Amino acid sequence: MRTGKVLSRREFLKTASTVALATGVGASIIVPGRANAQRKKLRILQWNHFVPGFDEWFNNTYVKEWGEKNDTEVIVDNIGLAGLNSRAAAEVSAQKGHDLFMFLWPPPVHEDQVIDHREIYEECERRYGKAIDLAIKSTYNPKTKKFYGFSDSYVPDPINYRKDLWDDVGMFPDTWDDIRVGGRKIKQKHGNPVGIGLASEIDTNMAMRAIMYSFGSSVQDEEGNPVLKSKATLEAIKFVKALYEETMTPEVFTWDASSNNRFMLSGKGSLALNAISITRTGEKQKNPIADKIWLAKAAKGPVRRIGLEHVMDVYVIWKFAENIEGAKQFLVDYIGNFRQAFLASEFYNFPCFPQTVPDLKQLIAYDPKANPPDKYKVLEDVLDWATNVGYPGYANAAIDEVFSTWVISTMFAQAASGRLSPEEAMNQADAEVRRIFAKWKEKGKV
Amino acid sequence: MAVVKDTAVAAPAVRAGRLSRLLDDETRLGRLMLAPAILYIALLVGLPFFLALYFSLTDITVGSRTLHFVGLKKFHEVIHTPTFKLALKNTFIFAFVSQLLVLILAKILALALVKDFRGKWFVRLLILLPWVAPISLGSIGWLWILDSIYSVVNWVLVHWRFVREPLRLLGILDPRMPPMWLGQPELAMASIITVHVWRLLPLATVILLAGLTSIPKDIHDAAAVDGAGFWRHLFEITIPLVAPIMIVAVLFGFIFAFTDMIVIYVLTRGGPYNSTQVLASLAFFTGIDGGDLAEGAAISLFLFPLLVAAAFIFLRIARRAEVT
Repeated sequence: MRTGKVLSRREFLKTASTVALATGVGASIIVPGRANAQRKKLRILQWNHFVPGFDEWFNNTYVKEWGEKNDTEVIVDNIGLAGLNSRAAAEVSAQKGHDLFMFLWPPPVHEDQVIDHREIYEECERRYGKAIDLAIKSTYNPKTKKFYGFSDSYVPDPINYRKDLWDDVGMFPDTWDDIRVGGRKIKQKHGNPVGIGLASEIDTNMAMRAIMYSFGSSVQDEEGNPVLKSKATLEAIKFVKALYEETMTPEVFTWDASSNNRFMLSGKGSLALNAISITRTGEKQKNPIADKIWLAKAAKGPVRRIGLEHVMDVYVIWKFAENIEGAKQFLVDYIGNFRQAFLASEFYNFPCFPQTVPDLKQLIAYDPKANPPDKYKVLEDVLDWATNVGYPGYANAAIDEVFSTWVISTMFAQAASGRLSPEEAMNQADAEVRRIFAKWKEKGKV
Repeated sequence: MAVVKDTAVAAPAVRAGRLSRLLDDETRLGRLMLAPAILYIALLVGLPFFLALYFSLTDITVGSRTLHFVGLKKFHEVIHTPTFKLALKNTFIFAFVSQLLVLILAKILALALVKDFRGKWFVRLLILLPWVAPISLGSIGWLWILDSIYSVVNWVLVHWRFVREPLRLLGILDPRMPPMWLGQPELAMASIITVHVWRLLPLATVILLAGLTSIPKDIHDAAAVDGAGFWRHLFEITIPLVAPIMIVAVLFGFIFAFTDMIVIYVLTRGGPYNSTQVLASLAFFTGIDGGDLAEGAAISLFLFPLLVAAAFIFLRIARRAEVT
């Protein structure tokens, strides 16, 4: 039997509103500092690095030290790479967000929303020497003469191959033709397929462009005109179709950005295009397969040896950022300390200002964690064979939309699967590319 | 001086009196308590909708604050692209097949669950789990189940002899090349439909269960006395009486299937080569990832008139089917 006082509706509402009011007011009484924070703040958003040790160093060591020196509270938020575009769109829409926002590919579509980063490049070049061409081509719009971002680093995209399997068939993946022939032999003899993504994901985007460029094809020319429809593109598509049919399995159509890592580390794959995260993960897990996975330069095609960066770090400072000066200072200082970042990333992030890591070649020539220790030495001349998205021109808004809506990946996948003929796939993609370029040209961004 | 003091004392008393009257006034209090819900719908559903409608008639991009009115240009541009046509076709296949399956399975489950049996609460709990769990987490679970390397389904197909051998003899399975659930167009479409059905089935079952339990038992008893069997009970009593609520469940499911993209985004991102691309996912890739917000809005709103018409018709049918 209930004996307590029954609460009337009126009493309930009064009590509830009093509690709510007290909670709201009480918080600001108990934590007065919240209302009157005097210390400067710098908010940074970047991805969850594929090398977890990097985030630990960056978030817990570097930014804390920098914050103390500059009397600034630095807050770092890390999110998955798939969420970067949505988050950026949300911040632009709200005109509020982080002071520094890091993309993993050039974001020219946000050009109107960001400051001109020229001043940061100029200051860094004055202090640390010239930036690499790859950085400039990934952050500068020649049409509007504006730097829409600032690139601190890029990630090489070498070939990861199973040395034991390739040795067994007496071959080395030096050219795309070698990959096709050797991959076929390995698949026939051992059942291990080649794994180069043909899906709607970033690794596929990079790999397919690497093949196109090495065959002399590209999405645009140097002046930013769409030139996808060409004999060279057709040859590249036919090659990928043959490569898929002879050396791969349909699983490449299912892939996400980490699938090729699992593919190689499971022992299933004979070759993939990826950053060094495959071998680094294997080393950390003490996976015996890691010792069998070696690296090679980007493959040579009929026209040239060329590859892309695996990802391109591009920081932007929004026009609406609350601490623009602090963000600029952070970037300039970060470049000055990039050797630490290079080591913390375990050679994953290569500097866009090479003079900041003067002993890079010596460092990668002998890495005690690797077996053999000179496994990463192959990356020493990466700038000779790595180029930007948008090659031979600059990364612009049209290139960004073509990249982000998977037009090129879909073109290759449709032909490789036999859904469309190579000519049909090229024509369909070319029409889409021209439509996208026309839109952005009309806006004066290309 | 005393007058001033009296007034000061009286003012709070007057305010308290007003508050008391408000709290006792059912009509005004009712409106007040409904206000948060109306505000919520207006701000979080109405405003984004009208904003999307406005965006679709402009040339706005994700990185611009200025926009120009361009009329139906974005709609006109996008409907001629092969990707849009394919996405439109996929949207209808996805929505119709998944809803048909949901309807049949929910009906079977609801009929089973309306009976009394031991452990019924536990079975109901299990059935509700997919709806209660966050769909992104559930979809990631399915992503692993259907993974190209570590698929548990493929493991069973390849390693369990009594499963493998019959399938191999029938020529359905090549153990060296197990199915790539998300890598072959037909299998990928079947996979996303399966996960979508798995997700929507609990809600549809609960709705139908509510309908079934509301049928007075004496109607079935009277039919049983007249010698009606299972099928006559089903087609002449159960289905007609739960029809209104079933139509609402179907309407909800259709709108959900036409507008949702989480399962597709997590499992296939529209692939392989756009074969599971639907309008909702295409709108996202174009508008947010590709930066053309106006075109993304146009794609997402393309089916809006059709959905409104469908909702209107479904609700009218439901009202007519109501038994009073």
